[in-house]
Amino acid sequence: MSRIRLIRSAWSFLLALAVAAPVLATDPMEEMKQTTEKILSIVTNTGLKSPSKASERGRLIRQAVDERFDWEEMARRALATHWAKRTAEEKKEFVGLFADLLDHTYMKKVEDYNGEKVSYEGETKEGDYAAVKVKIVTQKDKDIPVEYRLKKKENGWLIYDVSIEGVSLINNYRTQFNSIVQQSSYENLVKRLREKADLK
Amino acid sequence: MKMVLWVCSLFLLCLISLPGFCTAEDSISPSPSQAPIIISPSDETIPTAVPLDPLQPSIPADSLTPPHAADSLEKDEKLVQTPDESVPPEPSESEEVQKTIADPIEPVNRVFFVFNDKLYFWVLKPVATGYKAVIPEDGRIGVRNFFSNLSTPVRVINCLLQAKPKCAGTETLRFVINTTVGVAGFFDPAKKRFHLEKQDRDFGQTLGIWGMGPVFYLDFPILGPSSLRDGLGFAADASFKPQTYLSFYFVAVEYANAGGRVLEMINEASLTLGEYENLKKAALDPYIALREAYVQYRQNKIKQ
Repeated sequence: MSRIRLIRSAWSFLLALAVAAPVLATDPMEEMKQTTEKILSIVTNTGLKSPSKASERGRLIRQAVDERFDWEEMARRALATHWAKRTAEEKKEFVGLFADLLDHTYMKKVEDYNGEKVSYEGETKEGDYAAVKVKIVTQKDKDIPVEYRLKKKENGWLIYDVSIEGVSLINNYRTQFNSIVQQSSYENLVKRLREKADLK
Repeated sequence: MKMVLWVCSLFLLCLISLPGFCTAEDSISPSPSQAPIIISPSDETIPTAVPLDPLQPSIPADSLTPPHAADSLEKDEKLVQTPDESVPPEPSESEEVQKTIADPIEPVNRVFFVFNDKLYFWVLKPVATGYKAVIPEDGRIGVRNFFSNLSTPVRVINCLLQAKPKCAGTETLRFVINTTVGVAGFFDPAKKRFHLEKQDRDFGQTLGIWGMGPVFYLDFPILGPSSLRDGLGFAADASFKPQTYLSFYFVAVEYANAGGRVLEMINEASLTLGEYENLKKAALDPYIALREAYVQYRQNKIKQ
């Protein structure tokens, strides 16, 4: 009923598969391709399709995702100005909770993969930062533009933000977290994150 | 008589929103309410400054507070360097309101948000689910195309207002092809065979391109998230449609328009079932999640 197209089915958060002619394989795209191919192979693996294997499948997917997503960077950006005031222990706890939130919300959707095509639109690099643009074509012929932002770390290019149709995930959470912390407290935010994790 | 009322109300709304044009230009415009809501000029006036070179990273003018001004890739580093310093952040920094859009009537908006939420789950979703079960997807996409075709004049006029004649030409051509070959707009041969993409332009977007900021966030009951600017845009777009004028003279057209609008809503809901639920599931505060998603989505549209 809302006039806008809301946050899309969340597997688009994860998948970026190379399609058609090979583009100049530069580092960020190459590394993303590796991760997504790994994830897709897990999802389409018939040996893991049975319900009894569900937890193992989830674990494998999470493992593949952990390689490419920089949870700490994402959590830090989402908490923004409130990050500095946290103790090391609180920071670690928050990163874990945030990763769990994203995991529960989006990872499950990977299993809904239905053969959607993803095409690379381009990539830009600025020193240690890169942006990879992809377009996801759903079966209903709807184009969804997705942009991944990556940063170069010791273990490769890691994703720190995803924008779907121009809506940045981290910005969205940053505003929510900021509002909650300002209106109540950081402890309340943590409590709500825990409640959300428990509900899954 | 109705027409006169309509024009007058549009005119009055425009007058009220004149400040909206000012806020977009000032770098800091303190709002009458509590903490200063900092609206940097990097809001929608930026489009001309965005590098047109496709190899350049786009600079989304989203977060509008100084520490994360233009969100280009390099500036992303600056954003996290600030919280990471061992020196405690400046008091002004920690108290500053990180708002992408002003929301002075947030309590009212939250009420409407809850209203819309209930309306969706209690009315729209069940109806749309039933509708979906009866009408196959291709039919529903056809209905969507049909309504989209009917609002071609809106897009043509906005294309022209945005000084994009090619866009206007494309839309006109799409209308002609889809109405004839596409059987009154149900099909979209213009896209499938002639590769003429839909140019989705509305008056809110036009106002944004002309330099008007969203002014403040408005969550309308039934209509959903919007802003003062986009609400005006919605009213203006309605005035671009011939159906609106016909409905002033013919009661039958008035009912047909209303019925068409309801059908369009149900149809669209049936095609996007689950998206709102996903948003709620992913968010800690769905109201803010929706608001921010809306604001960023509109900013992105204006940059196009």
